[in-house]
Amino acid sequence: MKIGPLNIPIKEDFSLKSILGFEKTPVNMLVAISVVAMLAMLVLGVGNYLMHGHHAYNVTKEHPWGLLIAVYIFFVVSSTGFCIVGSLGDVFGFKDFTMISKRAIFGSIVTILAGFTVIAFEIGHPVRMMIYNVLSPGMTSAIWWMGTLYGVYLTFMIVEFYFLLNNDMKKAKTFGLIGLLVGLAAHSNLGSVFGFLNARTISQGVFYPTYFILTAFITGIFLSFIIMGFRYKLNFDDKTKKLLEGLAKIQGLLISILIFFVTWKMLTDIYGDMPNRAEVARHILGSWTFWAEVILAMLIPLAIILKDFGRSPVLMFWASLSGMVGIFFMRYNLVHDTQLKPLQMMKLKEYQVAPEWVHYFPSATEIMISLGGLGVCILLYYVGTRAFNLDEEEGH
Amino acid sequence: MARYGMALDYKNCINCKACEVACKEENGVLLGADKHRIWVGQNEMKGQWPNLDIANAAFLPSQCQHCDDAPCQMVCPTQATYYDENHVVRVDSDKCILCSYCMNACPYDARYVDDRTMTVDKCTFCSDTRLARGEMTTACQNTCPTKVRTFGDLDDPNSEISELLRTREHFSLKSHLGTKPKLFYLT
Repeated sequence: MKIGPLNIPIKEDFSLKSILGFEKTPVNMLVAISVVAMLAMLVLGVGNYLMHGHHAYNVTKEHPWGLLIAVYIFFVVSSTGFCIVGSLGDVFGFKDFTMISKRAIFGSIVTILAGFTVIAFEIGHPVRMMIYNVLSPGMTSAIWWMGTLYGVYLTFMIVEFYFLLNNDMKKAKTFGLIGLLVGLAAHSNLGSVFGFLNARTISQGVFYPTYFILTAFITGIFLSFIIMGFRYKLNFDDKTKKLLEGLAKIQGLLISILIFFVTWKMLTDIYGDMPNRAEVARHILGSWTFWAEVILAMLIPLAIILKDFGRSPVLMFWASLSGMVGIFFMRYNLVHDTQLKPLQMMKLKEYQVAPEWVHYFPSATEIMISLGGLGVCILLYYVGTRAFNLDEEEGH
Repeated sequence: MARYGMALDYKNCINCKACEVACKEENGVLLGADKHRIWVGQNEMKGQWPNLDIANAAFLPSQCQHCDDAPCQMVCPTQATYYDENHVVRVDSDKCILCSYCMNACPYDARYVDDRTMTVDKCTFCSDTRLARGEMTTACQNTCPTKVRTFGDLDDPNSEISELLRTREHFSLKSHLGTKPKLFYLT
């Protein structure tokens, strides 16, 4: 398809009919119905938000960031992860990984769009944000850098994807490298949004800006197994097996490093009983969501990789699904745990017990919008598979 | 141009909460326990009779500390939080996007959401009301029956607050964070 000077190679049979003409297997039908349900929930959730504003959410003065921030982080981490995996082949020239580049870069675009969809309903004034982000930039704000760099990153990802579609690997490499660097900068800035919170000793410091890059790579590999699993219906050819085995080995190393990081973070938090930090860390260790993160995102996938050094791509597909659920808890824990400790510890009104921990559980509206974001992500990705050839072109 | 601050002789506080009421009335703050620009914190008395720890049972009036190095101002992505000409930390509701980062970053939990504008609000030292009318006291100070609060220009050596800070020992809340609060608690 030609739009001005641009040549966008869209599949010839792409139409509404081709979108709806998927094979009606039980799994496909389940995914299709789930996506429609999630999109319906998005409409309901957004409707409720438009009527009641932030009152439709369970966020409070003491816990101003809720599920939607966690889900936004979940999606943008996924995007950065896809970008890193996509860059292995087309930027760094690892031949075994080239076959996933186009699919991963497309994944990075749809996940960040899903993230933007969710955050648009968390930020109170998204239009005003776009105006004053430019007119009156807060250069000392990690959120400003994160948001602005993600905007630039999305542009580079789209340009890279365009060149990948047109098999212009040289330009794709250039834009891919710049996009990767901007994406990594944006992503570590997202970590610094938490790392710069001097009042929140559990988050403050260098840990999150670096840990975010590591967990992005891990997320990207989990997602690569999932999209390749669906692409090949778990019947992988030799070339794909080689790709996935390589990714699984990298994943084994990355998860080991992550376990090392998290162990030392916890030990440092608890050591010496630092006020406001040690007690929060102990509280985190006692929460089931932390153990969900550890078991689902770290222990299960690592055990499966170590079983035969990543030679079981089908098992790794299932471990990656478990991993992504764990990654969701990782993001939720990050946001919630940062706000666990009240900043004002005195009793403010009669018949009130002095605050001890800040409690939060997402409202139905927050859950519906979050699932809606997932629906948007899956729908965009599916439409992309129908519109574009996301497989590696022969001869490249 | 002044550099406004406040000294609080907090041991005189009797927790009558007249300051909270006066602030809401003067500045049109919405009703509701979570909507407050200022508050009086209370430490419950500990121990069992007759060994009650009365030294622990203190009242601590508080509000935005109008820090000279305010974390809320640094983290604002649109510069909606700014210092006015009197070094008072203010929020421009036209620029606030309600990302709530400032609420998370403020070490004193001094910010809340105003449901009318759907933006973040906080103490302004009555800049839009009493100071704009030319008065030189804040509503909370004016109404306090035990004269806990003294508001004034820290740069004016002859102001009452400067005199108090020269002659009375004082401390600031969470001063280890380097925020340089302009609220001083007299001991």
